[in-house]
Amino acid sequence: MAIVNKILLKILTALVSIFGSLVLVFCIIYLLPGDPVLSMLDPSVATPEMVENLRKELGLDQPFYVQFLDYFMNVLHGDFGQSLVNRDQVLPKILEHFPATLALTLASALVSIIIGVFFGVLSAIYRNKWIDFIARLIGLFGISMPTFWSGILLILIFSVFLNWFPAMGSDGWKTIVLPSLSLGFVGAGLIIRMVRTSMLEVINEPFIVTLRAKGLSERAVMYRHALRNALIPAITIIGLNIGELMAGTVVIETVFSRQGIGRIVADAIMAKDLPVIQGVVFFSAIVFVVINLLVDLSYSIIDPRVRRAN
Amino acid sequence: MKQVNQIKLLAILLVFVLLVSGCASSTSTKNSSSQESNKEGASHPKSGGDLTFALATSPDSLDPARSGLAVAVRAFRTIFDSLVVQAPDNTIKPWLATEWKISNDGKSYTFTLRKDVKFHDGTPFNAAAVKYSFDRINDPKTQAKNAVALLKPYQSSEVIDDYTIKINLATPSASFLSNLSQAMLGIVSPTAAEKYGDQFSKNPVGTGPYKFVSWSENADIVVEKNKDYHWGPANVENKEAPYLDKITFKIIPEEATRIGSVQSGQVLAAETVPPQNIASLKNDSKTQLLKVNTIGLPYTLFFNQRKAPWNDVKVRQAVQLAVDVDSIVKTLYLGTYERSWSPITPGILGYDKSLEGETKANIKKANQILDELGYKKGSDGIRVKDGKPFTLKYVDGTPNREKRNDIAVIVQQQLKKIGIKVEINITKDVATVIYKNADYDLYGNSQVNSDPNALRAIYHTRTPEEEAVFKGLTGGSDPELDQWLEQGTIELDPAKREETYKKVQQKIIKDAWIIPIYVFPYTVAASKTVNGITFDSLGYPLFNDVNIEQ
Repeated sequence: MAIVNKILLKILTALVSIFGSLVLVFCIIYLLPGDPVLSMLDPSVATPEMVENLRKELGLDQPFYVQFLDYFMNVLHGDFGQSLVNRDQVLPKILEHFPATLALTLASALVSIIIGVFFGVLSAIYRNKWIDFIARLIGLFGISMPTFWSGILLILIFSVFLNWFPAMGSDGWKTIVLPSLSLGFVGAGLIIRMVRTSMLEVINEPFIVTLRAKGLSERAVMYRHALRNALIPAITIIGLNIGELMAGTVVIETVFSRQGIGRIVADAIMAKDLPVIQGVVFFSAIVFVVINLLVDLSYSIIDPRVRRAN
Repeated sequence: MKQVNQIKLLAILLVFVLLVSGCASSTSTKNSSSQESNKEGASHPKSGGDLTFALATSPDSLDPARSGLAVAVRAFRTIFDSLVVQAPDNTIKPWLATEWKISNDGKSYTFTLRKDVKFHDGTPFNAAAVKYSFDRINDPKTQAKNAVALLKPYQSSEVIDDYTIKINLATPSASFLSNLSQAMLGIVSPTAAEKYGDQFSKNPVGTGPYKFVSWSENADIVVEKNKDYHWGPANVENKEAPYLDKITFKIIPEEATRIGSVQSGQVLAAETVPPQNIASLKNDSKTQLLKVNTIGLPYTLFFNQRKAPWNDVKVRQAVQLAVDVDSIVKTLYLGTYERSWSPITPGILGYDKSLEGETKANIKKANQILDELGYKKGSDGIRVKDGKPFTLKYVDGTPNREKRNDIAVIVQQQLKKIGIKVEINITKDVATVIYKNADYDLYGNSQVNSDPNALRAIYHTRTPEEEAVFKGLTGGSDPELDQWLEQGTIELDPAKREETYKKVQQKIIKDAWIIPIYVFPYTVAASKTVNGITFDSLGYPLFNDVNIEQ
């Protein structure tokens, strides 16, 4: 029963976070300088009546709280509003493009977990040896290299020179390789450091000595026992990292000309399409909260102590 | 226990992989169009083949009435035809209209239409369709964009018979036919426009050489051959159905990716090649570079004459003398862009060639003018008058289109030499800063247009009502200019118009209203297997003659 209560509490907290993000997103958009109506019209043809009519039509002549309540009620009914540019419904548009972004995010997460855990463990096992040095250097590169730059570099090497992978597009598995490498590398840097640090802590704990004394092979000690314990803090980072990766898709989807909600928001920002920006940011906030909820819940699977504490 | 754990891990990984592959749109179609098109024989020009053409930005709408972006025109020019076409020498030739008569007062045009034209949806093309297309643009409910301005001073249409239409204007307009040739005034299928309403922009139906197939946002726009087509305009060789089966316009915003896609063979052609690539592509054995200068108003820096001291012609002239346009264009565009000399570009009716070479940078003279005006250089090299340092607020927008932000930086360095401190404001919100508040001293803009009448919207004195909605770019007023610009609008004799517009150009430059910077070249990088990409008089690509060889 206690565990159900705890899960319910977590879900409730998540809902509060989602509402908070809705308020925040709405306020930020509202406070942005510039008049959306003026930027929608062409200076050479607009008349004062056109400006007023459009303002009324978009409900932008209403006071702040009326606009917010309208938006809130609409969101509850699953209506995120319409694009100012082409009158598309925002939510169906997001849902249509979200799978591509999710695929890219998960593929990048996979890349960063594989690279991160692999080099993190190596780095801890061979502490202060040349392998450790190289792994840390890779981590440093991953953290410091901007994705748009590494993306263009990958295109140059693997598309233009080697012709192994396509430079752009989002149809077929081949198109996801370069963008997920470029994006996953960033997260990998963080995970390498995290896994290395917590592995080093775990390795020095008494139970590792016990396991060695029992005659277990070094591989079994490291990968089955040490790594499993070291992964708990790493999982928090991976969860947060998925949010980072989703944010990263804004740049990477544009660089690789992929479909997805990152691309939609990048275009909407260029076109000052406020309902779309608002919708995508709010939608991403929901996804982020849900992912963190799942990460929270996953602790109990990985770590029996958490389960028992419940 | 050990095995159980491994199986668990494997299962998790498997689910992960499935998720990833399931989420990706799994239609792994082989879209290497180059391979498909290479199979046939090598006779010239041959039919068949798919062209992939990369666009730099997303079109806003494929409805000609409701689009405001040049990139959209590049796509929907293939779908829509116009009543007339403008030849490279700026004369107007028949297209969907075979001939036309202009009334003596210049206020009504009677067009005779082709009788053998059908829209892609089977709707017959006739006078009613033309009337519908133009009335639709004028209807505020349509929320038409640039088309409204192009159609001005349109008043009404009368259907005389099925294939004759009379168009009435409020005032005579010398640029009307030229405007009619633009794709934004293309003729739409009344049946489809009624059926789709707001969604016509995603389901465009016209009479053009290609039919609309699909538009998946941020990915591509696909059009296919219109087999019935045989009414091609005078500016293409192939008047019949196009050779290509299909064109896929791919949207690739990042320039390195766009050019990389051509070099790696993923697309056959890509637009808007950055200057550094123009230079390198010239030595590429597999890629060709096509370049055409757009016409209209070049990229021009406008002084805000509402604010002192920019209402003083001498101060403006000093700045005009201090800005070394040649060095800006050479530094930033590596010799791939041409500098401009006039408020309009070469190629447009009335362009005054005599202005070329007239304005030369002369720092000494500029300094001398400012000295005479009483601006004294302070210890930091910045001039001061009445206790106030001489500053210039230079506003430019984002994104940094065609390196325009870099122009601001170079101008800043150049004006430092004559003791003017340039404050650069790069803003996302040009609509507010420029058009609402007119909070700038110098601001740059350009416009694609087919007729010198475009000058009127910029340089004619604006009424207080007009200024209340949107501020004009110059803030200046000159009765003589006004009179010439009004004359140019209504004068129907091209020779007289040319003379009028030459006076306009000379006066604008002499009085230093502006500093013209560069003419924008539209560039396309294409595989050498692609033949026949041509451009219309505005610099938009035409695909009627395109064919792909081995």
